[in-house]
Amino acid sequence: MGVLLEIKNIETYYDLIYAIRGVSLSVAEGSITTILGNNGAGKTTILKTILGLIDNQPDKGTIEFMGHRIDGLDTEQIVRLGISCVPEGREVFEELSVRENLMMGAYIRKDKKGVAQDFERVFNYFPILAQRKNQWAGTLSGGEQQMLAIGRALMSRPKLLFLDEPSLGLSPLLVKEIFQIIRKINEEGVTILLVEQNAKKALEVSDTALILETGRFVMKGKSSDLLKDENVKEFYLGVRSQQSAKGYQRWKRKKVWR
Amino acid sequence: MSPATTPAVFEKTACEHGDKAAMRYKKLGLWHDISWRQYRETAEDIAAALIDMGLEKGVSAAIIGDNCPEWVMIDMGIQCAGGVSVGIYTTNAWQEVEYVVSNSDAMFLFVENEEQLDKWLNFRGSVPLLKKVIVWDTTGLKAFKDPMLISLSELIEKGQQTDKNLLNQRMKAITPDDMSVLIYTSGTTGPPKGAILTHGNVTWMAEAIAALNPMERKDEVLSFLPLCHIFERLFSVFAHIRHAYVVNFVEKPDTVTDNMTEVSPTVGYSVPRIWEKYYSAIQIKMSEATMGKRLAYNTALTIGRYRADLKMNFKKTPAYLELLFRLAHYTVFRKLKKRLGFERIRVAYSGAAPISGQVLHFYQSIGMNLIEGYGQTEGTGVTCTSRPGKAKFGTVGTPVPGTEVKIAEDGEILVKSPGVFAGYYKNEKGTAETLRNGWLHSGDVGEIDEDGYLKITDRKKDIIITAGGKNISPQYIENMLKASVYINDAVIIGDRRKYLVALIMIDEDNVVKFAQDNKIQFSTYGDLAADSKINELIRAEIDKVNKTLARVENVRKFKILPKKLYEEDGEVTPTMKVKRNYVNKAFSDIIEEMYFAG
Repeated sequence: MGVLLEIKNIETYYDLIYAIRGVSLSVAEGSITTILGNNGAGKTTILKTILGLIDNQPDKGTIEFMGHRIDGLDTEQIVRLGISCVPEGREVFEELSVRENLMMGAYIRKDKKGVAQDFERVFNYFPILAQRKNQWAGTLSGGEQQMLAIGRALMSRPKLLFLDEPSLGLSPLLVKEIFQIIRKINEEGVTILLVEQNAKKALEVSDTALILETGRFVMKGKSSDLLKDENVKEFYLGVRSQQSAKGYQRWKRKKVWR
Repeated sequence: MSPATTPAVFEKTACEHGDKAAMRYKKLGLWHDISWRQYRETAEDIAAALIDMGLEKGVSAAIIGDNCPEWVMIDMGIQCAGGVSVGIYTTNAWQEVEYVVSNSDAMFLFVENEEQLDKWLNFRGSVPLLKKVIVWDTTGLKAFKDPMLISLSELIEKGQQTDKNLLNQRMKAITPDDMSVLIYTSGTTGPPKGAILTHGNVTWMAEAIAALNPMERKDEVLSFLPLCHIFERLFSVFAHIRHAYVVNFVEKPDTVTDNMTEVSPTVGYSVPRIWEKYYSAIQIKMSEATMGKRLAYNTALTIGRYRADLKMNFKKTPAYLELLFRLAHYTVFRKLKKRLGFERIRVAYSGAAPISGQVLHFYQSIGMNLIEGYGQTEGTGVTCTSRPGKAKFGTVGTPVPGTEVKIAEDGEILVKSPGVFAGYYKNEKGTAETLRNGWLHSGDVGEIDEDGYLKITDRKKDIIITAGGKNISPQYIENMLKASVYINDAVIIGDRRKYLVALIMIDEDNVVKFAQDNKIQFSTYGDLAADSKINELIRAEIDKVNKTLARVENVRKFKILPKKLYEEDGEVTPTMKVKRNYVNKAFSDIIEEMYFAG
């Protein structure tokens, strides 16, 4: 397996806020890599930096995709190279139909035949979307919108797919379904970089995981190892190492990454 | 002459200052004042309630919590009731809390919140002398009922309804020889020992520390070191009730830098680690500044250093230099200090551990009067300190007025003063070893120079004797290494060995910056510690130090520790001193590797 995405020492600022404080990461081709972290740790910022969505950033460091430097390129160029993103909160075009939404995902493509195939592929992943293909996207349920957002991202035939909190606001059953499909998409050859707060699901589905805190990685390893780590268990999986004698407990022990 | 018991001093000051601010605390983004009147009323209500609930003179009550007004009010309440106040570190695991509560025969235990309360629940069955547990932050405990537990507000209410006659009698019955506090010293060997400080000890010390560097009502200090340590207790409690300045409590342990800027204290005090942190933060900031700023800073610093050199060697500074320094101050240092919250600092102390000479010299250079103090819990905190403008490089100053210091034949520093403690609680053996013929045996080795300044060499038991029979002071070498911005801590090993080796703890911020600047890829702290370029960097830093040392003192090999050191892991003390014995044991395999691998 080669390296698909290679990030070296990036630093990102939002104006004066120093959000990403030196991050290096490589994503192996065909893998699922996940970045875990609390609110405000900088997970989405990493994705946005890679996609060139923040002007004049990264401030330092380099980003290579399939051996080519992509930092400094326009988002459109980056997408054309084969990176696609499912943004946090889905962001479907509410007043366009499901079909039109998917077509927007194929905006950069000229091969009509391929696009038609991909329509089938998406409807195959998400049969419900086929049923609703002429309905306004805004009238879909949250879970259906999430499916649509993933489908739309797939329409550009990405080599690398970013998923930003796909489980956000979904019922446990739907979350399960979405993660099954994520695995399926991956098995069919799409490399995935997953950003999640649902640590348990993310660790179960991924190969490699990194934990981000205030703009820096504090831990990295095989996902199966992280599932067993005491700190990860206590702070991300909600497993208490000590049980209070009074039966319940509101406080958490201090977080230390050893 | 000031009274010689804590309650008497407290009452006198509180009466004199009434509605003026005694302390400040920050809550939900706003600073609030507490007046001397409120302080006294609350402390006396607590005291009255404790007496009512059976606290006898000389009986202990323990407190566990982060620094806040409640902590010192409770502390004062216990002492006014004739009790003995015992502080416990919030970072202690429940087993350690149990040890202190049990060893001090505490009758009451004050806990800050749910987290600390849970510790007690783990050992409640094994401390029969404990009668009541009082909690001051009841968040999350509204539904929890226990016959032994009451809230602080309930206790205060009880005190308000209690007749104060008994309390007044009790306060009058306290003599300077009575126990006022027990301070548990983090024993590097064996369990912690409770040092008994009497009312006479602490009231004398409150007087003595201000004799050389006076403090007054208008002064402001920032309270953030652990209150159970003598250093913070002196400034937040004993000297506070004597000199009536304002104590500002940090909002949380991790908001120190922000609160420092907001409060801008006039008297600063902290442990070396904090001063080192500020020092390396300034270095980072300056290395990233624009060329013009860097030039101005470096020029100003050169002037400052030159001036500090002369001053610390007691030489006269020429008028032109003072003029240049004035210029450096107005263009560079004033702004720098303002940003950090240091611009009003008249005098700042570093204590509880030795500070590197380079760091001290830096602060003197930017015109901040940082001086090193020396002392131990057993001497109520301070034995030596420099007077303003009379700091001398490489020394800890002269004895505090009223203190006698002499050097024993084997080099050990001996101290006699009204601040020397009454012994360890229920530990005659320990007392007899430390206190002989009225002289406190400090366990430190040092010498007194021609000007009467004390110079500390090392801890007596830390002195390394190499296989070649040469005596070496590890502390000296460690401090030279710590002066590097890339090295946070260092432990030198070499007792009965052929050569010296070092365990290095890297400074994360500066090393990360170095890695970023040099495009060294890393994900975690462990990656940095293992990286070959980082190891080269540290090697170069060690080589620099080695050049200034004798051959036998050279550090031949080193290893960067793969993890950060934590108080909770027992690796550093609450004042952030590395526990040498523990580290030697925990990383023995790494140490052995350095001696065996070639």
